[in-house]
Amino acid sequence: MLRTIKPKNARSKRALQAREPKEVEDPKTAIFVKGTHTGEKVNAVMKEMMALKQPNAISFSKKNTVRPFEDASSLEFWAQKNDASLFVMGQSTKKRPDDLVFVRMYDNRVLDMCEVGIEKWVSMNEFKTPKATPGHKPLMHFASELFDTHPRFIQLKSLLMDFFNGEVIDSICLAGLEHVISVSLGPTPVSLNTATTSNPLQPPISTSTASSSTNLPTVHVRVYGVKLLASGTRIPRVELTSMGPSMDLVLRRHTDSDPELLKQALKRPKLRKHDVEKGLGKKRKNMEVDEMGDLRGKIHVAKQDLNKLQTRKMKGLKRAKEAFDESGESGSDDAEGEGAHSRKRRKSS
Amino acid sequence: MDVSDILAAHSAKQKAVTVEKEIPLEVDVGFLTVTDLNPIDTESYNEDVEGYLKATARDGVQTLVSALFSLPTTSSADGPLAQLPPPITQLPRAKPLPKPKPPTKWEQFAKAKGIQKKRKDKKVWDEERQEWVDRWGWKGANKKEEHQWLSEVPANADADHDPSKAARDARKAKVAKNEKQHQQNLLRAQGTSASNVGPANSDRKNHIDRTLATTRTSTASMGKFDKTLEGEKKSKGVKRKFDPTEVSASAEKSHNLAILQKLDREPAAKKAKSSSGDNVLNVRKAIRSVSKGKGSAALARGDGGGKAKKGRR
Repeated sequence: MLRTIKPKNARSKRALQAREPKEVEDPKTAIFVKGTHTGEKVNAVMKEMMALKQPNAISFSKKNTVRPFEDASSLEFWAQKNDASLFVMGQSTKKRPDDLVFVRMYDNRVLDMCEVGIEKWVSMNEFKTPKATPGHKPLMHFASELFDTHPRFIQLKSLLMDFFNGEVIDSICLAGLEHVISVSLGPTPVSLNTATTSNPLQPPISTSTASSSTNLPTVHVRVYGVKLLASGTRIPRVELTSMGPSMDLVLRRHTDSDPELLKQALKRPKLRKHDVEKGLGKKRKNMEVDEMGDLRGKIHVAKQDLNKLQTRKMKGLKRAKEAFDESGESGSDDAEGEGAHSRKRRKSS
Repeated sequence: MDVSDILAAHSAKQKAVTVEKEIPLEVDVGFLTVTDLNPIDTESYNEDVEGYLKATARDGVQTLVSALFSLPTTSSADGPLAQLPPPITQLPRAKPLPKPKPPTKWEQFAKAKGIQKKRKDKKVWDEERQEWVDRWGWKGANKKEEHQWLSEVPANADADHDPSKAARDARKAKVAKNEKQHQQNLLRAQGTSASNVGPANSDRKNHIDRTLATTRTSTASMGKFDKTLEGEKKSKGVKRKFDPTEVSASAEKSHNLAILQKLDREPAAKKAKSSSGDNVLNVRKAIRSVSKGKGSAALARGDGGGKAKKGRR
């Protein structure tokens, strides 16, 4: 554990303040760590993934003896030291060649991990196309029904979204949409397919335990450049060009997030007044913003019970007791201000 | 005029930008993400993997771009900015939510009293110099009294009274007081000492007051002829408090019923005696009292207790 630092000057105080938890978080920083041995392929993959993640990426140049699935203490130390919450660990061993581990942290503790093996790899340089500007937000595309049903792929989707696109933004420049990261799966194997289609009520966890990770389809990660062509309408027509890198991944080991920790991590801040007015909260009832930008409210007033209205009391206006009884029903539903007067008239007629 | 050509052209344009799928694509515009939940077409996948992947990606991106371009926009120097809705997908945070800062003592007080915060301007207008000067800090307006060439001296002032020094001391005392209050607020915010600061202090103060009051009345004259020190306050007794003479009928009723109930109840001392019965009876003490201290043997003989009782009566 790091000792708690008491800031001695304004600059270090500001630096520490920037690291404190915020309501709306900064983009997550990723640290790229090399294991005891990384092959050429893993090095290249990590380099190009870092290029996609820039400027929120830190590279560790030295080799480190880290086994995240056995002991995550050094990851926790690095996370605290560098104020980072994502890790990509590259390692290549005989047992698991060309291995990448994605680690996600919460509060400087490991939340979940996913290990993938690189099967096929084509570098960015192979494609002779203009590359995306560093720092531009990518679009994300996921294709397969397993991203909705299989826990391993739900986790992978969440991890990759967090990795490339996790920052919450309120607006984006439409001219700056330059590239898309597409994650597709191979054809769903029959074992997964039948399990999910024939028995939809069965929880997907049981299917994952039944089928080993060798049975899972390949993950194709492709990066395409986006060309927006005029279509004659407001919405442009999209053309894609392969930009690279592209990789084919197989899922290996993983750890799920601790449910208690995940629950804490998924806590949302309370909506502020400004957001409620914009219509984010539940409280937006009877409120609308008109075309002039003014907030308009609608008030519902309950129907006034005019029978309880106190009018002027006079002896002459008092009803006899039997008259009150016979006009009791009819008199109650006429809603008029001068109820007593009308009743008097009716009685005389 | 035949508009069918125009309509056909328009529909063709529309077709180019719309995507038809069996299962409609899930778009999370907030995270610029689209998810295609349609199963992978094995045949076309096996035929040409790259082509198939690109085709599905294009369809997905087209849907996403359509969603993005139909959002309300604001203009900027670099082009239109689409206003994104908040994301649907829940991603875990990197750090826990920030804890709300505990209110300072003044903030607590202001909230209780409904005092609104007013921001003071940093600059104030100086009439003499005809310019805006800082309220505090270098050449600040709060040091005006210290530097003025002429200052009023009170009639009863000491011979060595230095008006500029007095003003400076007053200002420094204010700063020191503020710093002390700041430290106390920090202590209170730390939590552990926060709960102790209030009650412990007042407890101690009460204790001191009580001790003082006791010592004052502990002389032979009950403090009546004691010399009082200069500036010593008269000790305050406990003020009697009376209930209001008029209370609401319901309050009066409940009050009276409570009294009745109290009367109805068996007294606690009696109850203890009756309930405990023989077990509590101290036999040894009872024998001693009945036999007038002569013991059980005397009681058994029949003398002692009876006679003495008669005699006393």
